[in-house]
Amino acid sequence: MVAKKGNPIFANKEDGNFREALKLYDAKQYKKALKLVETNLKKNSNHAESLALKGCINHNIGNKSEAESYVLKAIQKAPANYLVNHLAGIYYRSVENYVEASKWLKAANDNGSPNKPILRDLSLMQTQIRDYKNLKDSRQQYLEFQPGYRANWTGVAIAHHLNKDYAAAVSTLTKIEGIIKEHLTDADRYEQSECVLYKVDIIAKSGDIAKALATLEEDSSEIKDRLSFLEYKARFLMLLDKKHEASLIYRQLLQRNPDNMQYYNLLELSLGTVGNSVDLRLKLYEKLDSFYPRSDPPKFLPLTFTPSSHARFEEKVRSYLVPQLKRGIPATFVNVKPLYKNHKKLKVIEKVVLDFYAAELPKIDNPTVFVWTNYFLAQHYLYLNELDTANKYIDDALKHSPTLVELYTIKARIVKHQGKFEEAADIMNAGRELDLQDRFINSKATKYYFRANKVDEAIDCISLFTKLEDGVINGCKDLHVMQVNWVLVESAEAYKRLYHEYEAKLKEFKESSPLESEESKELENELVENIETYKGLALKRYNAVLKIFKIYYNDQYDFHSYCMRRGTPRDYIDTLEWEDRIHSTPIYTRVLKGMAEIYFEIYNEQQVKQSSESPSIEEGKTTKKQNNKKNKKKSQINKKKADFIARVESEKDDEDPLGAKLLSDLTNDDQIIDKLFQLYKPLIEEGKDLRLTHEVLYKTYLIEGKYVLALQSVKSLNKVLGGSSDVKLRSIGERVVELSETAQNDKNANAAIVKVVGKGLVSAFPEFGELSKEDFLNVYSK
Amino acid sequence: MGITIRQATINDIQAMQNANLHNLPENYQLKYYMYHILSWPQASFVATTYEDIVESNDTEAGEEFGGEKEDPKGDSAYINRGEKIVGYVLGKMEDDPEAEDKTPHGHITSLSVMRTYRRMGIAEKLMRQSLYAMCESFDAQYVSLHVRKSNRAALHLYRDSLNFEVTSIEKSYYQDGEDAYAMRLTLELDELLPSLAQKGERDDLSKDLLESL
Repeated sequence: MVAKKGNPIFANKEDGNFREALKLYDAKQYKKALKLVETNLKKNSNHAESLALKGCINHNIGNKSEAESYVLKAIQKAPANYLVNHLAGIYYRSVENYVEASKWLKAANDNGSPNKPILRDLSLMQTQIRDYKNLKDSRQQYLEFQPGYRANWTGVAIAHHLNKDYAAAVSTLTKIEGIIKEHLTDADRYEQSECVLYKVDIIAKSGDIAKALATLEEDSSEIKDRLSFLEYKARFLMLLDKKHEASLIYRQLLQRNPDNMQYYNLLELSLGTVGNSVDLRLKLYEKLDSFYPRSDPPKFLPLTFTPSSHARFEEKVRSYLVPQLKRGIPATFVNVKPLYKNHKKLKVIEKVVLDFYAAELPKIDNPTVFVWTNYFLAQHYLYLNELDTANKYIDDALKHSPTLVELYTIKARIVKHQGKFEEAADIMNAGRELDLQDRFINSKATKYYFRANKVDEAIDCISLFTKLEDGVINGCKDLHVMQVNWVLVESAEAYKRLYHEYEAKLKEFKESSPLESEESKELENELVENIETYKGLALKRYNAVLKIFKIYYNDQYDFHSYCMRRGTPRDYIDTLEWEDRIHSTPIYTRVLKGMAEIYFEIYNEQQVKQSSESPSIEEGKTTKKQNNKKNKKKSQINKKKADFIARVESEKDDEDPLGAKLLSDLTNDDQIIDKLFQLYKPLIEEGKDLRLTHEVLYKTYLIEGKYVLALQSVKSLNKVLGGSSDVKLRSIGERVVELSETAQNDKNANAAIVKVVGKGLVSAFPEFGELSKEDFLNVYSK
Repeated sequence: MGITIRQATINDIQAMQNANLHNLPENYQLKYYMYHILSWPQASFVATTYEDIVESNDTEAGEEFGGEKEDPKGDSAYINRGEKIVGYVLGKMEDDPEAEDKTPHGHITSLSVMRTYRRMGIAEKLMRQSLYAMCESFDAQYVSLHVRKSNRAALHLYRDSLNFEVTSIEKSYYQDGEDAYAMRLTLELDELLPSLAQKGERDDLSKDLLESL
């Protein structure tokens, strides 16, 4: 930040010093700046600006823990001083606390700071925290300060759009278009095109499709992105029920991209053939196939709408499948697999391939066709879970072509389905060794090692493709840096299975050896240690993914200004919406699912511990004894531990490489259910269509005695699972009973609440009021 | 095959990153994918599966209850129920202010198709879409890319199927020390319309599609 020269606020020596310090701070000369600030504070410990700056400097020179206290002191002394406000804003931005940062930057502006660029920074933060209401004002004020840049107009339009004020957004965009029209250079043409399309898109969003279409046509010459132009036009025509015109646009779109399945579906909608006779549709697709003979949809889509009973279905299947088998396309099976949900179609496909296998194959010279047909049939029988038959086909293929990598992937999968995880991993690895250059097969082998709980082998395997810095023994750290979420999740799950295994062993051990010998104690302690190590590591890896998603969320920050300048408002808006849903994406929810299981386990252990008497004293004794024993072997164990840490460390000099602190913080947390709830909180909005959301929330509410919320969760879960007055689900019935019983047996519960919940359950699930528990569960049995 | 090829959006980037990490040694953090989508939204494409559409098209599928609805698979390749990314092309325009050649030209940052989906021409189709879009939306005069010297399949695709030319060999271009072919293709919009490569009958849009059926 730059303070204006001659600003009257600098009246005395301190202010002069402060001004000097500020300059040094801006020039990143933190040590010198600090010296001046401290001189000031020695003279006048109440000099608020100096305190605030001291906070910022401290943050920058690495004194992070002390930094905030100075900032807070400064704010306390001079809450309406815009320099203090601004510095507080800068401090909170640097610690990525955008809520506080935006609060103080706004205060700086409101308290009369002449520094207008604050408004721009403020708008970035307001967007980051989705404070759209105030965003509009700061973008508008900044535009008034610098109206000469189109980016600032786009920023205002976006702010209006985010506030759903479509009219204001369109009028802003139209206004700048008019101003700039005469001055556009070639370099501006792309931005112009995007902004025009953005305007049309907003008009359509506001509901005025006719106007959107008219504007699109009017501005056609400004639009370089003809794909968007055609897609918009076709969509508008459909919405205006001008289907014939729309069909012509879809045909143009197919010429551009005949491999986009959506265009075929939309073309059919515009032609009105969807409900029509299968024969007509088949002919239509034959026509389209003559236009686009190398595209898949005209060949494949007929298989989806032609019933298996139709006279031509089998012929269509044959003409789709056989050429692929002959050409040796690895994906032939996965290509038709979507049709398998219809069992009759599955049977036809099976027949076609078996016929080919028996009648045609022997006559074909090319031996690879034999291999690929076996490869197909192996996958087919794997799908049907006929593992012996699947094995027979893949073994035949392997005998024939022992160097074909693809065959190993299917063989490994079959063996995995037989429950032989280690053997499966070995087979996949044998495939990998045939093509060491190929990362895909390396990834597969890595995954299979994880599934066999061989974490070290998995990491060693994938480390062949990671960056290895000096002194690092494997790619574990690089996998974190490069955001390889799939590996982090797989390792978390492998660690989880491992500690479950050790828990089972411990249980078995305790039951089978009641004798307390020194030796058995040692064994027991070893098991306990393993459980804790792997549980800690599981938490550690899960948390690593959470951290990466935090980065994903923060990644948008720079684009709040970049996209205005670049002129890509449409995709920018998509990005904001995508970030708003990011916690419901597949990997994140898989992590949350795994974490919930661990949290509930720990919660249950806490309950058991609480109810059993004085177990902690006894436990303390054992560890002490153990410690004495340990001292003798200490150096040996330390070396072993250091080696282990070197292998699993997720970043250099990690303070908690094994997640031991993560684990102990959780086990000692009497609010663990609330912690879990906090993890799931984003899903209430972002993941309301997921069963996971409602299953876990239901459980947390039940434990916390929040029965009305639990009732709401059961109802939401029912909706998500597809339950209705016709479809009565067992998993819902059981929860209804459980909720009702838990609420009624809860002596601490508010009687009125219990009544409300009871009534709510009956009104949502009427049979619950009419039937006995057993009969109710018999009705809810799907 | 239940594969569709379409323009990439911001919703796809996690799964694109996943595909890249599965297939190639050159990897990028997610922000770099964001940077591509938000700088040249037209230039990147994905190939995805579409199981759900298949189901909804099937008129034979019964009305009976098909079981509790499952959440999308917790697999980073998936972006929706039944929709996963099996290939992508990540394209950009040259934006290095230091670059010698100031004529607008494109660059292919990364292209890959899952091994299980190879030999179906997906990579070529992805490329044709990207080339067309770069030329049309950004006036790219040519496009350049790098190929590992040992990657014969890629060399075949670029040189033989797409008519790229090798312009030079860059010594030790890759981190592991391998050399790269620098390749380039001059772009002419009229010739790039992707369906032209199929050499099928031409839909001249004059006739009603259903008329003669």
